[in-house]
Amino acid sequence: MSSSESALPPGFETLEPFVAGWAFDRAEARARARRASSEAERVAFFEAAQPLLAPGLAYLDQKPLDQFDARETRLMQLLLSFAHVAMAVEILGEDEPKHAEDARHIIITRAPSEA
Amino acid sequence: MNVQSPQFLTIKGDDPAGLGTGPVPAGPYYRADYFELEREAIFRRTWLQIGHVCELPEAGSFIVRELEVAKASILITRGKDGALRAFHNVCTHRGTQLVAETEGKRSSFTCRYHAWTFGSDGALRSAPDMERFYVEPKDCGLPKIAVDSCAGLIFVNLDPAPKQSLREFLGPLAEELETLPVAKATTFAEYVYEIDANWKLTYDNFQENYHLRFIHPRSGKAAGGEGNPFGYPTRFGFHGPHRTQTIWSNPAPDILPVQGFAFGKAFQFVAEAGFAQAPNNREYFALFPNFFLLGSPGQHFSHTVYPISATRSRGVIRLWWIGPDDSASKRFAREYAMASAKDIHSEDRAVIEAGQRGLSSGALQHIHFQSQEVLCRHLMHAVDQAVEAYKAERAGGAQ
Repeated sequence: MSSSESALPPGFETLEPFVAGWAFDRAEARARARRASSEAERVAFFEAAQPLLAPGLAYLDQKPLDQFDARETRLMQLLLSFAHVAMAVEILGEDEPKHAEDARHIIITRAPSEA
Repeated sequence: MNVQSPQFLTIKGDDPAGLGTGPVPAGPYYRADYFELEREAIFRRTWLQIGHVCELPEAGSFIVRELEVAKASILITRGKDGALRAFHNVCTHRGTQLVAETEGKRSSFTCRYHAWTFGSDGALRSAPDMERFYVEPKDCGLPKIAVDSCAGLIFVNLDPAPKQSLREFLGPLAEELETLPVAKATTFAEYVYEIDANWKLTYDNFQENYHLRFIHPRSGKAAGGEGNPFGYPTRFGFHGPHRTQTIWSNPAPDILPVQGFAFGKAFQFVAEAGFAQAPNNREYFALFPNFFLLGSPGQHFSHTVYPISATRSRGVIRLWWIGPDDSASKRFAREYAMASAKDIHSEDRAVIEAGQRGLSSGALQHIHFQSQEVLCRHLMHAVDQAVEAYKAERAGGAQ
């Protein structure tokens, strides 16, 4: 795939396999993707995205949010989903399945990231 | 760092609030008759937090909020004159609920039943075939509800003639609330849950730290630490029916890499907004009856527990932010702060419901609060004072 066909900005191609499962415009959809994921899916996304978190934000910080193109928007959405997945992988670990059962009762109804 | 962390000292005294140390009756946490008394004695006559001025940014903005405990739907508007007004969301013709949306912008509200139309000031502007009625339009305005704001937070009082203004009700806490980011907030994240539990039982979970190490061993790990394994507060304060505490700052929290990165970003934005050293950064404000706010500017959240029945409630948590997301880093830091707070709250719900099942069985006559659960004792005391005063007033009125 050439960079013009890429779903993400140059330098972030390794995150392409995660776009379909983790890039969402609503915060509740990001939380839901975390709840519905398997441990293997969470760990794979976490390990691929963690090294790209700081570079990804530095890249996106160069532009106002309302001027993002589709690829930049997708990268932003992936990094926002990473915030949710990092809770599961880095903090909760083996407690995550129990947590997911409790978390489905709490619904995000609004977030500035949806604006 | 050349500032030495002071050794944690548990707040002294068996009875920090001067409310006694005895067991507390269990009935008020599940009995329907007690809930009916609370409905009248508290929720129909106390200032209740219901919104924020940033939800009504301009003339014509409106919000509608359901307040089940008062069996009321409340319409709050911002008029052309900039004033906030609150009304029962009820058409004065035959009582139909007027506005179906929860928020929006409109200069008038038309009832879908017979097209009576009201302005954002509540006045009846027009009604088809009005001359056939036996009442004047000027006498058909929407029923008014007392409304006021402090620190950007909107409060309503369903008492037709509130005995105190909002400022009198909040007392010295009003000035402290005004120092917090919420007073300047322009946006927020919100998450909501429903729970099969009494509103006090639910609320109490969030005003004691005794449970943290058991219910939040991972997500709340930083709350406790050496010398203070339970993460007890460093100060309690009692202000009429309201209460405050100062959250202990763990000098050596065990922070993980992404967590440290995200909170580092958040702290950078807090500093840029001028709140790095704000006076109430570690303060917790519990406003009677069902609202609290944590001062921490990086994770500045409020939590309102709305009673629905004696054993059902709805929690609304909001993280307050000043200004829009204006960079990817700020957007990420805010999403992480929300996800982190939500994780902790997610863990609380099931154990609160388990507590309700135990209490509702009627197995216990009393429950017990230790000295570090004194805020829970204080809430029950304030509730019971209001209920007893109401009962006395009713008995007096019947003579």
